[in-house]
Amino acid sequence: MTFILRNMWRRKARTFLTIFGIVVGIFALTVLGGMTARMNQQINGMKGFITDKITVQPATAGSHMGMDIGGGKFLELSKKAEIEKVPGVKGASGMIMVQLKAAEGMSQPQLMIGYQPVAGTSMFNNAKLSSGRELKPGDAGKVLLGSTLATDLGAKVGQPVTLLGKQFEVVGIMDTTMGVTDSWAFVPYQDTLGIFLAQNPYFKAEGLTQQITVFPKPGVNIETLSSKIQSSVAGIKTTSPKQAEKMISNITTIFSAIILGIAFIALFVGGLSVINTMIMSVSERRREIGLKKAIGATTGTILREYLGEALMIGLVAGACGMLLGLLAIAGLNRATHANNVVIFTVTATVIIGPVVFATILAGLAGLFPALRAARLNPVDALKEE
Amino acid sequence: MSIVTTSALKKVYTVGETTINAVDGLDLAIEKGEFLSIMGPSGSGKTTLLHLLGCLDVPTSGTVSIDGKETGELKPTALAAIRREKIGFIFQEFNLLPVLSAVENVELPLRYQKVKPAERRRRALEALAKVGLSERANNKPGQLSGGESQRVAIARALVTEPALVLADEPTGELDTTNTVRIMDLLRELNEQLDLTVAIVTHDPMVAERTRRIISIRDGKIESDKAA
Repeated sequence: MTFILRNMWRRKARTFLTIFGIVVGIFALTVLGGMTARMNQQINGMKGFITDKITVQPATAGSHMGMDIGGGKFLELSKKAEIEKVPGVKGASGMIMVQLKAAEGMSQPQLMIGYQPVAGTSMFNNAKLSSGRELKPGDAGKVLLGSTLATDLGAKVGQPVTLLGKQFEVVGIMDTTMGVTDSWAFVPYQDTLGIFLAQNPYFKAEGLTQQITVFPKPGVNIETLSSKIQSSVAGIKTTSPKQAEKMISNITTIFSAIILGIAFIALFVGGLSVINTMIMSVSERRREIGLKKAIGATTGTILREYLGEALMIGLVAGACGMLLGLLAIAGLNRATHANNVVIFTVTATVIIGPVVFATILAGLAGLFPALRAARLNPVDALKEE
Repeated sequence: MSIVTTSALKKVYTVGETTINAVDGLDLAIEKGEFLSIMGPSGSGKTTLLHLLGCLDVPTSGTVSIDGKETGELKPTALAAIRREKIGFIFQEFNLLPVLSAVENVELPLRYQKVKPAERRRRALEALAKVGLSERANNKPGQLSGGESQRVAIARALVTEPALVLADEPTGELDTTNTVRIMDLLRELNEQLDLTVAIVTHDPMVAERTRRIISIRDGKIESDKAA
């Protein structure tokens, strides 16, 4: 161990440059890892919102599982009644959305979601509320707030808040999910419709909905029910929980692919520079290796010494890159904190992943030079000038 | 009993189409406590012989036995073990590791023998005392003179109490004063510790300070006599 550190110190400039090369890669990996962790968190936060129910959208809507709500496609509310007639459907809820506050920079937009609570169901898959209750059928002028929005408004259950000029009574505040719903306000459908029509006077439809959420009866196979609704109601497109899950995993796959890409770049840059450094280090120290073998070091001993040096480079570089990444994440999160935005999340994977990755990478890159060193013939190595 | 015996020892190098018989059917025995030199002009095969005696190289044919143990069929790991346990090397260029202090350099063979740190340090300091360098224990090789460096190397060679110390031109890099000092030191250690020492040299001044001179030419023993 002392050997390894002293040998690294002996070639300070080179060691530093090699480490720096890896640090850059690992820094990028940590920061993007933090971003991906945050994205996944937001997407997973939405999961509970969609996985125990069927989402119905206009047949012409894009396949974004309701994420394009507000995209301008609407269904007539009469479809809700049609869907509710399909056997196995417990109830359905129309939904309309208006914007409370546009997204600023990377922040999530604050939205007001109007829906029609169905008796005996939970719109939020029984997500925990920090206080109060969900909306129930017959509620009017009531609001259920996402945690971030509630904090923004300084809202408490039982007290009134004003949203878009209209007063609502807060009936519940949701737990922080870290998902998009944290900055949403949920109100009864009729209340939102009024606001929506005032904002969009050219819509003449009395009952319109951007999507319909369908709850199955207990014991009904939700996937079968989804296809049954699809085939019996015209002009709609259903998204079953399974399909929604697939879309979610598609999105997370994209982010994982990005991370993988960065990792590969780090692998190339860092790996090559470790290989280069180690080859240099071995060829410079051929005599030294010869001497060590002459006084009794085995092939394994030399292999361990050089591999240890490579691993140490990786570990130091990984730790430095990760710490710099965390620093950047902390700084950026602090900068955006005022807008109630969290762009990065630090999870155990974000911290440990890059360090382990860098260490393994350097170890693998150092393996070939280390083997070369270990297999040197002592007589040849000692002859070296 | 002989510390080292060789029988019909042969080492052939092939360079392109020419074959060189660096060591050519050599029979030799070195007894415990001997202080001998192997002399010869460059290219006579004396260094190759030293490498074969020190298990750094394997013979093309013939045998080497160290401390009664035949080394011909041994695997590299077993040869490393013999070097570690039985042999101490001294080189012309000292070959001290620059990142280690004098005492740490002396400890190195003990480290490979997996001796515990405290014990290692004690024995290394003892060896440095024997070569008269106690006060330089914590100096790095860069801070030592040539003569001092070679004395550290000698301490490193004897710290494991080897059966045989092999020295390859140990005074090759030293001036006359230091050459005499190093030879006196080796002789002293030979007498006091009953250390078996074989020195490869082309320098008659070195050879005449040993008790037995083996002259080698073209890989064969030319003469073998008491000095």
